[in-house]
Amino acid sequence: MRKHLQIVFFLGVASAFFGIAGGSSAWAQSDDTSGPEGGGHQSEQRRRNDLASQPAVRHRILLVANRFEATPLFESTVNADFRHFVGAGLKLEYHLGDKLSFGALGVFSGSIDTGLVDKIVPTLPDAMSQENPLEPTKDQFRSHLNTMPIHGAAYVSLTPWYGKLAAFDAAFVNFDFYFQAGMSYAKLKSSCADSICNDPTPGQSRPDPADPTGEATLPPDFNPNNDAPLNSGNRFGIYLGAGIHVFLNDFLALDLTVRDYAFSDNPSGADYNADRFVSDADSRFLNHLFMGVGLSVMLPMKAKRTR
Amino acid sequence: MRPIVPKILVVALLCFTASAAHAQKKSKAAAAKDDEIEIEEEATPDSITPDEGPGEDGIELEEDTVKEGDLEADTAEFGSDTPTIKGGPVTRTPVSWKDILVVIRKPFLKVRRVEMLPFVGTTMNDNMLRHYSVGAQLNYYLTDVLAFGVEGQLYVSQPREPFDLIGRQARRLPTVNEYNWSGALNFHYVPVYGKFAILDKHLVTWEAFFTAGIGAAQSQVIERDVNYPGFKNFLIQPNVGANMRFFLNRALTVSLGFRDYIFIDQFEPTDRSPTMNATADQAKSNADSAFINNVMFQVGLSVWFPLSFDYTTFR
Repeated sequence: MRKHLQIVFFLGVASAFFGIAGGSSAWAQSDDTSGPEGGGHQSEQRRRNDLASQPAVRHRILLVANRFEATPLFESTVNADFRHFVGAGLKLEYHLGDKLSFGALGVFSGSIDTGLVDKIVPTLPDAMSQENPLEPTKDQFRSHLNTMPIHGAAYVSLTPWYGKLAAFDAAFVNFDFYFQAGMSYAKLKSSCADSICNDPTPGQSRPDPADPTGEATLPPDFNPNNDAPLNSGNRFGIYLGAGIHVFLNDFLALDLTVRDYAFSDNPSGADYNADRFVSDADSRFLNHLFMGVGLSVMLPMKAKRTR
Repeated sequence: MRPIVPKILVVALLCFTASAAHAQKKSKAAAAKDDEIEIEEEATPDSITPDEGPGEDGIELEEDTVKEGDLEADTAEFGSDTPTIKGGPVTRTPVSWKDILVVIRKPFLKVRRVEMLPFVGTTMNDNMLRHYSVGAQLNYYLTDVLAFGVEGQLYVSQPREPFDLIGRQARRLPTVNEYNWSGALNFHYVPVYGKFAILDKHLVTWEAFFTAGIGAAQSQVIERDVNYPGFKNFLIQPNVGANMRFFLNRALTVSLGFRDYIFIDQFEPTDRSPTMNATADQAKSNADSAFINNVMFQVGLSVWFPLSFDYTTFR
């Protein structure tokens, strides 16, 4: 039953998507024939009018073509597991034409614990339990979580849709949709004190310091809570984004974007693959979903207009 | 007696001619100064050749001359008493003033129509359980911007990665509820409409609408220990949402958007043992309450009844 409903869900999304694509073509044909009121019983010759071969939009303001875009922005993670990252940054983009552009963005972020962390931490012990040594302490759990002080992307952007809308019959504004793809970058940071992460050889035996000959070894402790989290450093991956410009005038636009920075990460800094120690193998390719809002300034400020 | 009257007439005629010529020069000069009035060369629609279309990137700058039909000629021809000879294939004669639309009609009318909207949805803000839903809406539009209707949904849940990680890494069992079904009475308001072009070729009209409603739902405890049975909750569930609708034709539209279902849910108590909260009733009576926002993304394909509509005003 569950799988059947999931299949129905994905089929629904797919059919709706292709419905938009296919339906828009059908609608466009109707536009060529004086809109949807063009009856299906009329001959093709009678249905076509003088506008059939004309541009879809006349006297359009070229709001992005050959313009430089600078966007101060705010960004926040969506549905993060352990820590939300909220930050501010700058997007710089140059529009080669009406549709194609390239750019880069960088964001400095702070972190906020999610509700999940707020619920777990109070239930954890302050000191290691002898009865359940695999249960992390409050400090062990928190110090393994990482932060993302800097992240960004370099991308190519496609703007295939543009239009205008009327809101409350009062505000008439231009907008466009864009899609971006490129390379993501993130600087991850975690700080686990030596007193907490004190296993020098996670998952491996080590020489017994009590043995002066150096031949005796200690077995691995197989306790991931005192291993180094290994979830800091520079990460490179894939960047995908989609957004909308809502133009307030010819050179200012509200920029609403959903961005996905996908790269290798282990946000909890704990043992993921159940081998009872922390290693690089616990990192996996994860999506880091952000929503952003910014104010785009288009330069030069004066926009051209089509015929 | 000298012929004074003819001379006066000749002088008056000369003055009138001169003043008329002067007035004509003045009006042309004034027109040239005024930016809002442009005198353009006449061009019939036939003179527009296919080569004069958009360039490679489909953009023409406005320095080019705008070519229009001859309004006077078309009006005179249309109003003349010349008999029409019918014969051969019917061809459309371009008449310039027929392209003048003071107000373009709405491409899609919703008033007094019923929308049947089957849709699917998924949870957006739960990092422990992901719910998928299948549902349907039935809405009636009182006007083109106001509607009311009912909806119903069935849910299935799927644990996400943290649900498993918390158990293995933090040695904690999450306390979560899954949703079984929900229903609501909704009101819709459509304040935003617009159109956009796709790749400079196709025009798509769309609108945005807000939804608010009140309904009921059922949630169910996922037991941490199967030895202690869970329980179900009946929830009063207001909701608010924002959606976009794309028009495909006179009877089909695609809707997608977000809905926030707001409710107070009852969760399994953390202290269950053979002597405490052992039964479902005991656990439910000592359940922990929490305020929940279940934000869902929904997408669906609407069918509108009647399948078509008639305009009541002239084009």
